[in-house]
Amino acid sequence: MNNSRFARTAGWLAVPCLIAAGLLAWYVTREPVSPFESRQVAVADIDPALVARGEYVAPLSDCVACHSVPGGAPFAGGLEMATPLGAIHATNVTPDRETGIGNYSLAQFDRAVRHGVAPGGRRLYPAMPYPSYAKLSDDDVRALYAFFMKGVAPVKQANIPSDIPWPLNMRWPVALWNGVFTDSAPYVEKAGQDPLWNRGAYIVQGAGHCGSCHSPRGLAFNEKALDESGTPFLAGALLDGWYAPSLRNDHNTGLGRWTEPEIVQFLKTGRNQHAVVFGSMTEAFNNSTQFMNDEDLAAIARYLKSLPGDHQRDGTPWQYQSVAATKPNTPGAHTYETRCASCHGLDGKGQPEWMPPLAGATSALASENASAINITLNGSQRVVAAGVPDAYRMPAFREQLSDQQIAEVLTYVRSTWGNRSEAVDAKAVSKLREHTDPASSSPIILQMR
Amino acid sequence: MELRINQKTYQVDADADTPLLWVIRDDLGMTGTKYGCGLAQCGACSVLVDGNVVRSCVTPVAGVVGREVTTIEAIETDDVGKRVVATWVEHQVAQCGYCQSGQVMAATALLKNNPKPSNEQIEAAMVNLCRCGTYNAIQAAVHDLAGLSATKGEA
Repeated sequence: MNNSRFARTAGWLAVPCLIAAGLLAWYVTREPVSPFESRQVAVADIDPALVARGEYVAPLSDCVACHSVPGGAPFAGGLEMATPLGAIHATNVTPDRETGIGNYSLAQFDRAVRHGVAPGGRRLYPAMPYPSYAKLSDDDVRALYAFFMKGVAPVKQANIPSDIPWPLNMRWPVALWNGVFTDSAPYVEKAGQDPLWNRGAYIVQGAGHCGSCHSPRGLAFNEKALDESGTPFLAGALLDGWYAPSLRNDHNTGLGRWTEPEIVQFLKTGRNQHAVVFGSMTEAFNNSTQFMNDEDLAAIARYLKSLPGDHQRDGTPWQYQSVAATKPNTPGAHTYETRCASCHGLDGKGQPEWMPPLAGATSALASENASAINITLNGSQRVVAAGVPDAYRMPAFREQLSDQQIAEVLTYVRSTWGNRSEAVDAKAVSKLREHTDPASSSPIILQMR
Repeated sequence: MELRINQKTYQVDADADTPLLWVIRDDLGMTGTKYGCGLAQCGACSVLVDGNVVRSCVTPVAGVVGREVTTIEAIETDDVGKRVVATWVEHQVAQCGYCQSGQVMAATALLKNNPKPSNEQIEAAMVNLCRCGTYNAIQAAVHDLAGLSATKGEA
């Protein structure tokens, strides 16, 4: 008796459960609506002018950075990204019909780029910055499609499956993540702001996906803000063993002391009187920002300079102070004089704009010291502007200086010339040394927090 | 651009970011200054700029316009430099010699700024690398020049 009542109740309960499961299954595998659904274009009919436009939008979006490996064919994929769950690999986005995206319709391409949904409803991992690309205009998506179909050579190169084990490799939960953390509408111009600002906002939030590195992330690896309506937007974040600094008007740790023309110069030439690109930004410069036209760079600068800083987070405004006549006689100061001063100067002012100053440098003022440690251990990559590698680069001190020596010299740098930030601990150096060792078994490739 | 090197004026056609070392060696043909590591680490490329030792491989040429550059070719026109070279010869410091123009520059800059350096100051200033390992001879020569416990001809 009791048993049958239980069975009946369970039976009644099963109905809503099944309906809920059905709805969930539909939701997590559905293909979002694309405005191009009924507007498929034959690849043969694509206008060359549109291909040319796409050839500009692709570097604006820095597709090549992830969808290629060094020395490999452009856009053929293969780049390994380590996630906490296992490695994933960027895919082949050349128009090869078998291994690439040659069979994608414009609507399917749109769904992948702006919504992170592959044909058949499979969800992409948000390592693909579709939360940002969602802001792309219909015109730019059409141009990108034209470029990838007609402007890129097809390459037959099979995609590498991810290392993530079952059941963690199921993709459908990403749809729920998308539902909570993404906003799928394209950028809408803000009334009351001039066209330059709006263009800047469009590039920074959308194609440029600056927030992927520069915005802090929440517990679910979601960017805490996707536009200027949230103060965490572009407020600086630790990622891949580098600290991507604030792009807001923070005097010490952001762009507060940079003028709009200086921002333009930095993005166009890789250097200005305040800094030289290093770390992950070298790739963003080499592959993307230097190819942006002057108007777009001016737009980015205008937009970034409109983002207010946060005095509380940023601390007392930095001001240059000369070193006292009696030089500090510490091991850190000595290492600085013998190893660093040739380029960065005893006065810490560097040789702008070729060798960056350390006095007032963001990496020396930010409380996160990862960038300072990482660049000292591993040096910088070549900055390649207009096809020409630059003459100067930061050497790697991994083999020359101990953890203790690096901690001492960085502590000196972070506490001299008006710089006032926390001392560096040798343990932090040791940890980053291990994680950035090419032979390490626990590398940080995609470590977001 | 106009450069002052070894008390002569040179007109040089180079990009602003060209390393001074390239201009000295390739454009002006003064090959006494050597290329070592290219990263400001070894000191083989040391020259004097306004009397201070500078690594010319990491010095953009635009940065020395209006300043006085001295290379090994003219170091003996300087009183201190002349003494350094003489002492170097006396101690027979050089072996292969590749790093020695840089070593002489480092010693000269040190003694010009501080004629009586202590042993610690010498150690702090003489950081150029020498693959032959002439460090002991360099130390003896600089100690001699600084008037520290002479390592030769002790009375």
